[in-house]
Amino acid sequence: MKVYLDAVSTTALDEKVRETYQKLLDEYYCNSDALYDDGVAIYDMQEKSRQLICSMFGVKKDELIFTSGASEANSLAIKGLALKHRDRKHLVTSIYEHSSVYNSFRQLEEDFGFEVTYLNPDEDGHITAEAVKNALRNDTLLVSIMQVNNEIGAVNDIGSIAAIVKKHPGTYFHCDMTQGVGKIGLDLSNIDMASFSAHKIHGLKGSGALIKKEFVQLLPLISGGQQEYSLRGGTSNALVNIVLARTLRIALENREKYHDHLLQLHDRLHDGLKDLVKINYDKGLVTLMNIDTPIPSEVLLNALNERGIMVSSKSTCGSRKNEPNRTLHAMGYDEDHAIRVSFDYTNTIEEIDYFIDNLKEILKQYA
Amino acid sequence: MPEMNYDHIVVRYGELSTKGKNRKDFTRQLTSNIRKRLKDHEKLTYNTLHDGLFIKLNGEDYETIREKLKDVFGYSYFSGAIRVEKDIDKVKEVSLDLARKHNIRTFKIATKRHDKSFPLRSDDINRALAGNILHNTDLTVDVHDPDLMIYVSVDKDFIYVMDEKIKGAGGYPTGINGMAMVMMSGGIDSPVAAYLTMKRGLRIECIHFASQPYTSKQALDKVLTLAEKLSVSQEEINVHIIPFTDLQLAIYKTVDEPYCITIMRRMMYRIADRICKERKIRVITNGESIGQVASQTPESISVIGKVADTLILRPLCMMDKLEIIDIAKRIDTYETSILPYEDCCTIFDPKNPVTKPREDKCLYFESLFDYEKLVDECVANDNIVNVSYRKADEEDESIF
Repeated sequence: MKVYLDAVSTTALDEKVRETYQKLLDEYYCNSDALYDDGVAIYDMQEKSRQLICSMFGVKKDELIFTSGASEANSLAIKGLALKHRDRKHLVTSIYEHSSVYNSFRQLEEDFGFEVTYLNPDEDGHITAEAVKNALRNDTLLVSIMQVNNEIGAVNDIGSIAAIVKKHPGTYFHCDMTQGVGKIGLDLSNIDMASFSAHKIHGLKGSGALIKKEFVQLLPLISGGQQEYSLRGGTSNALVNIVLARTLRIALENREKYHDHLLQLHDRLHDGLKDLVKINYDKGLVTLMNIDTPIPSEVLLNALNERGIMVSSKSTCGSRKNEPNRTLHAMGYDEDHAIRVSFDYTNTIEEIDYFIDNLKEILKQYA
Repeated sequence: MPEMNYDHIVVRYGELSTKGKNRKDFTRQLTSNIRKRLKDHEKLTYNTLHDGLFIKLNGEDYETIREKLKDVFGYSYFSGAIRVEKDIDKVKEVSLDLARKHNIRTFKIATKRHDKSFPLRSDDINRALAGNILHNTDLTVDVHDPDLMIYVSVDKDFIYVMDEKIKGAGGYPTGINGMAMVMMSGGIDSPVAAYLTMKRGLRIECIHFASQPYTSKQALDKVLTLAEKLSVSQEEINVHIIPFTDLQLAIYKTVDEPYCITIMRRMMYRIADRICKERKIRVITNGESIGQVASQTPESISVIGKVADTLILRPLCMMDKLEIIDIAKRIDTYETSILPYEDCCTIFDPKNPVTKPREDKCLYFESLFDYEKLVDECVANDNIVNVSYRKADEEDESIF
């Protein structure tokens, strides 16, 4: 039996998305910027997709840039904005952002002379509006705070943070909503830029978008032609962009449909874990739990892996590096014993039970 | 807006009611149009009566239906309603419940007694219901500017209690006044003219003059998209696509430049006129508005229109551009109309078009080439595309 409990890392492709993508691949290959019929047909579908996604997020039609995923969207938002507005030198973010956000800021700091304030989460795991407010300066250009932390699942009050930044002249607000999309709704009315990727919601890898309000000026990171409002050169990955609308629609439908199922999975997992391990964090995203195990996480990971169970010890994007984990460190958790268990609607109660049973055995054997 | 447990929709006819003997045809057409628009909602049942159309929801979602109903012409207003037996105590109960569901401070009851045999007069009902609400809540009556209006309608077999009146698009049921051919360029005006034509009860077909390869496939697609948007009011629209290039080139080769547009427009009318006669369509409409461009001065309109004897109506004739744009935005055609694709009128744009053309000059220019053969060819090569928002939705459904 294989049990996948790492949904925060990525998800399996939805069957309907796969079918649609396959159908498009079989039928279309032309360049979406070509002016003959087959090219125009692809272009029209891509623009229809853009329009549908924008309306799902309640933004205007031209306020979405298709990207290769959230990492690119985050890089474009942060570096693109900063390099376009070099007169303001101060930036604010948090210490526990995804590496694509954090390293963008580090690069701006180290190579381009920006000053960055890295906010720490409070003891509840949140970046508060108060903390953001205190960090703002007259020359603050950008605040970037994630909606849901990818390692502990803490859900930030983005509405309050965005409202604070909105009132501060000349300061933009960006939100990495990758872990929140399709799970927790987000009102984008005060948010200038927001990023997400498709593969976290059963979509294709290499697909994502940056929502960018029309007044926000960016410097393109990829120079090229007219694609994506000249902000991202290169022949459009049009078929992938076309299926993003359906991916998102299915995710939103499933959010309603599986609401109760997810709560059941959560409760089953929580009940099973609470006497076995210390639960580091379970106050945020229903589908993510960070736990502290009595044996080193690496050992546990290997033992679970032998039994076909897939979980992570930390963010997959940093899994091969030996740097200290920013999130766990900031929260004061023991990163050598932390495990992240995450699931989604495709998981079953039986799988949760299988995981708990195996965990019990492993702990009995090695703890 | 709190969630209401409506079980019915009451549609009132309005202007229709004034039409004495044709009334049955009108209500039948209206009901038929509404049924078509709502055909995805299979559980609905319809009851067409003298005073209104009563649609029983049978569990169908009111909010979705509400938006679709707004696309249909020929009624005055509609309301989500709760049907009650003709028992004043039951009405009291329901109206009190309704008042409690809203977060308000003041209210007013307005009763209309369609059934004059009901023992209580409208005023008595108002008092009885208001009294009951005053007694059981902290609300007060405000007859001038109430937070909530509760409408009570005493009809033949039942009483309907409502808390909103949604104004319809007005006009007559599309189809009741026969057929019209709309000349559709793809600009801002012609879709508005098409909308107003349908609104006045005329079922439309559209005619579009395509000058490929001088105009692109996108320009044609734009017209089809516009027709698709307009089709919500009559389910489907036939669009006649006329290959116009040869005729247009002949005009520009033969006719003095200032008269090119005038002659071109005369040819369009000739072709539209011919197709109307073939299809027994008695009206041509278009988006012409007085003074807007050289071909729309009174002199131009007069000289151009002379070539067709089908009745030509110009719904936008006396409207300002901004008024037209307002409607275009409201009916959601504006954004499509302003897409920057050349149409056949803009592609051969003469520098000094005549604003006061003379008919004798037109006749002279037209005598210089065998335009009739070219008109025949245009008519013979009419490509009819049937467009419907439903087809488009189905296509979308498979990809998005």
